[in-house]
Amino acid sequence: MKETVKTHSLTKEYGAIECVSRLDMEVHEGRIYGFLGPNGAGKSTTLKMLLGLARPTHGEIEIFGKRLTNRNRLGILRNIGSLIESPSYYGHLTARENLKIYQTILGLPEKNIDKALQIVRLDRQQGKKTSAYSLGMKQRLGLASALLSFPKLLILDEPTNGLDPAGIQEMRELIRSLPEQYGMTVIVSSHLLSEIDQMAEDIGIIANGRMMYQGPLNMLHETDRSKTLEEIFLSLTGKDVSL
Amino acid sequence: MIRLLKCELIKMRRRYVFLSLLAVTAAGLVFSLYGDYSGPGSGFTIKNGWLLFLYQLPLVNGIFFPIAAAVTASRLADAEHKGSAFKQLFAAEKRGRIYDAKLITGLVTMLLSVLIYWVVILVFGIAVGFEGEPPMGLYLRYLACIAAPTAVIYFFQHGLSMLFKNQAASFFAGVIGTFAGVFSMFLPQFPALRNSLPWGLYGAMQFIGLFGWTQETRYEFAYFEMMHTEPAAYAAAAVYAAVFYALGKYMFCRKEI
Repeated sequence: MKETVKTHSLTKEYGAIECVSRLDMEVHEGRIYGFLGPNGAGKSTTLKMLLGLARPTHGEIEIFGKRLTNRNRLGILRNIGSLIESPSYYGHLTARENLKIYQTILGLPEKNIDKALQIVRLDRQQGKKTSAYSLGMKQRLGLASALLSFPKLLILDEPTNGLDPAGIQEMRELIRSLPEQYGMTVIVSSHLLSEIDQMAEDIGIIANGRMMYQGPLNMLHETDRSKTLEEIFLSLTGKDVSL
Repeated sequence: MIRLLKCELIKMRRRYVFLSLLAVTAAGLVFSLYGDYSGPGSGFTIKNGWLLFLYQLPLVNGIFFPIAAAVTASRLADAEHKGSAFKQLFAAEKRGRIYDAKLITGLVTMLLSVLIYWVVILVFGIAVGFEGEPPMGLYLRYLACIAAPTAVIYFFQHGLSMLFKNQAASFFAGVIGTFAGVFSMFLPQFPALRNSLPWGLYGAMQFIGLFGWTQETRYEFAYFEMMHTEPAAYAAAAVYAAVFYALGKYMFCRKEI
């Protein structure tokens, strides 16, 4: 299976602290990759490095078969949609105006805005200033901007943060439908095991900046049938995790 | 770049950036134009009004335009910081271009307010009946001498506002600089002090001086004359602009999120 993302010995140090340590990550094309780890494990830092928002201290990143460098970064990123930590938005603008900014920068057709708004079900509230949006609505707007170019790779960092149970369910279904509907590869990070369990096909478990397990989720289930998935996770990370 | 500038215009909607800048400029104009133009003691002012303005206004400009620059840079950059918008922008466009597009937007806005200020000064002089035609050559030079330091200070404020999320940092630096600049204008015996501060350039580039004024005779024998301006002031402006731009952009491009 073709790899969309591959990292080799990816490391990020902040002073003496090693946030991500010699991480080898492999994300296969058209799959949903769940990136799971407790808070502070290095998930967001890894995803930021994939997007060029943070510079790796050591190691290499390959996306779409090309080594990510400063020169080709933007060309590669044009095929990536992302939602990192909190959604990016301009509070004084409406949802439509917010998307218009990225649509203009990326030179995309105007109809993409309508489609993205429709997918995240914000089409009826597109004329409202985003400062008046709830956290869940802002999260959907973030997803809409990530989807705007209908990229080949979607990187979502804790996308269900701030959503109510119905919103979480809706977001899960949406993410699950993306590879089939639009041929996207999705990396979705979470500290919630149940979240990843319901969405992902492949999984990477990170703790203290190190990859503890990587592979198909069903293989993880089968590693030790006497243990629940939570117990396996806890034994791998040695940390408590919200279920 | 055109696409990015278009986006900057969209981002300015409902931010009232130009309106807040106009408010500071209007305050500066009130401060600049307040005076006695029709009373019994207004003879000297009406007779020498055009040159009097060129002599008096750089000090006022040294107070209001740096504040206006800090406000404008802060208003423009704050929209990005508040909504954590940089991480999305960085994934879509080169950081240097994002920096430049916002710089151009802010700079054009600032220079537009300088132009409005300059036009109002001229219109006001004509309206109150200053003697003679406005000396346009001198006034065009004056326009350049307020636009250049304003641009230099804007480069500085833009860099700080883009780098630091907390806009108090850039605003505080702007206010301290303004005080230092105004202070330097009260020490004409130390021209190097004015040149060594971007905020002092308004005074360093002043080219009309008042001579013959004493406490006893006051304006009786007073007259205005062209002053020698240190070429170092122009060189300093160019160096400051280049350093602030290059350093600000370099640090912004290396910024991690």
